[in-house]
Amino acid sequence: MSMLEVSSLMVFYENALAINNVDLRCQKGEITGVFGANSAGKSTLMYTISGIILDIEKKERMRGGERVTVLGSIYYEGADIIFMETSDRAKKGIILCPERRRIFPESSVLENLKIGGILATRAQAKKTLDYVFTMFSPLKGLKKREGGFLSGGEQQMLAIGRALMAQPKLLLLDEPLLGLSPMMEEILVRAIEDINETTGITILISEQYARPILPIIHHGYVLENGVSVLEGTSQELMDNPDVKSAYFGI
Amino acid sequence: MLTGDRRKKRLDRSIKVRTEGLYAVSSWGEMVYLIAPRFVLIVGLFTLPLVLDMYWQRVLCSAGIYALLALGFDFLAEFVGLVCLGGAFFVGVGGYISGLLNAYYGWPPLLSIPVASVAGAVISTLILLPCLRLRGIYFAIVSFMFPLFAVYIIVALGVFGSTEGISALATFPNIWIEQYLILVAVILSLFGIRRLVSEDIGVIFQGIKDNDQAVKASGINITAYRTKAVFITALIGCFGGAYLSHLYGWLGLSLFAMDFSIMPIAAAVMGGMGSLVGPVLGAFILTPLSEALRGFGQLRVVLYSLILIGFIVYKPEGLMNYLQRKYHQFELWEKV
Repeated sequence: MSMLEVSSLMVFYENALAINNVDLRCQKGEITGVFGANSAGKSTLMYTISGIILDIEKKERMRGGERVTVLGSIYYEGADIIFMETSDRAKKGIILCPERRRIFPESSVLENLKIGGILATRAQAKKTLDYVFTMFSPLKGLKKREGGFLSGGEQQMLAIGRALMAQPKLLLLDEPLLGLSPMMEEILVRAIEDINETTGITILISEQYARPILPIIHHGYVLENGVSVLEGTSQELMDNPDVKSAYFGI
Repeated sequence: MLTGDRRKKRLDRSIKVRTEGLYAVSSWGEMVYLIAPRFVLIVGLFTLPLVLDMYWQRVLCSAGIYALLALGFDFLAEFVGLVCLGGAFFVGVGGYISGLLNAYYGWPPLLSIPVASVAGAVISTLILLPCLRLRGIYFAIVSFMFPLFAVYIIVALGVFGSTEGISALATFPNIWIEQYLILVAVILSLFGIRRLVSEDIGVIFQGIKDNDQAVKASGINITAYRTKAVFITALIGCFGGAYLSHLYGWLGLSLFAMDFSIMPIAAAVMGGMGSLVGPVLGAFILTPLSEALRGFGQLRVVLYSLILIGFIVYKPEGLMNYLQRKYHQFELWEKV
């Protein structure tokens, strides 16, 4: 059974259709990729799955701004969670590692990780902390450094580490490679693969720059203007001529 | 809004789409559509003095002062990004200058009010100038302090009538001049500021609010522009103060009362921040309301606070933003 099943999801921002009838599945223990250009609806999809869209909807409604409408259903472990609060989804194991990292700039690296670990038991937190520091060894020497003073790559490591501390069952990574150097990309891609292999966490990853991610995913979707235009395994996607020309320049 | 398989679609009326800022009117109906709200506001305000009795006419005058302050507060907060809690300071400075010119030099209100507005605005701006580099809450705190500051200086030095104040200033010849003077001032400032924020300078103000670093990087001196914005607000506020001292023929420490700083904020929240006309309407609703509740004694503050909390919690966009949206858009159910 798939862990997450999104079926006929539609999200409107006022009269603009951000996500149009998207169906998506994440199999347990696999890495699923969502690719698409900017404005394809990747971030909206992540917000909708993690529940942040409900906060956005409420905020806009209170201030009389644009109306956000969400239609369709999201099944997580068999239950429809489309109207569930973000915090409740986090307790059930859906953890979002947000776009642009959003780490706490005035807290130290260690504090950032501890904040992430509030849902975890003491033993789990200790184990995950060790795991994060072994996997992202540069963070080890920066424990006391304030989050805001880290480089982009270190911040991304910290953001993923913080998400891991919350003991996710389904980890949502929104544009984890945003603005990183090729070397840092490689480190992070390997880390993501490692998280999936050693801890068995199901990962849903959205990325505009698909080239480094495509080889590590098990299953992938391509979004275009809010519509899911293509889906397949890693190999199928890489062999597709459209994907080739769009992402590999062949 | 989350619903089953239907959603409410909101569309701007076609005239609104065509005429945002540029008036291309093609029929009498559209002309009426554009003019009606402004007409209702202006005519409504100008007929109020004719239908009210003596007591409420006085209330209307003080509501006008609060409307000016609320307008200034909204302009600074929503269009320049400075949260200014110093409304009482503007009223006090304007009122004292105008009153003193009248009491010591015998200037008539006709002369002392304009002079006090400009001089008061210059003085207030100069005093606030060192704080203009501050942002957000810091500017709010500092501007909130100044009225208190002024009160203690006047008391400590024993100048300007000290705690007693100065009475028997010249007043206006009759109640009609009193009312129409403030109403005209409100209408002029409202439409003036409305115009100002859509001019080039308004765009810069908006930029300073949204991202002051980007505006600096474009080679614009943001302190100079903030100074201009504060001067405009102070001008309106000082006029209100100068008018007030001649309205009652009295000047005293209560010109620096906290009411003048707090009430405009309440009016702005109720009327709808960022709509300019909202705070004005808010002031014309809240001031009479607080008069009407006078019978409840101390309970009046409780009722008053409840109304405010209600607005903040359930309708933070305020009255005017809501009404404007309803006026400019229509809704229909759409099947998806």
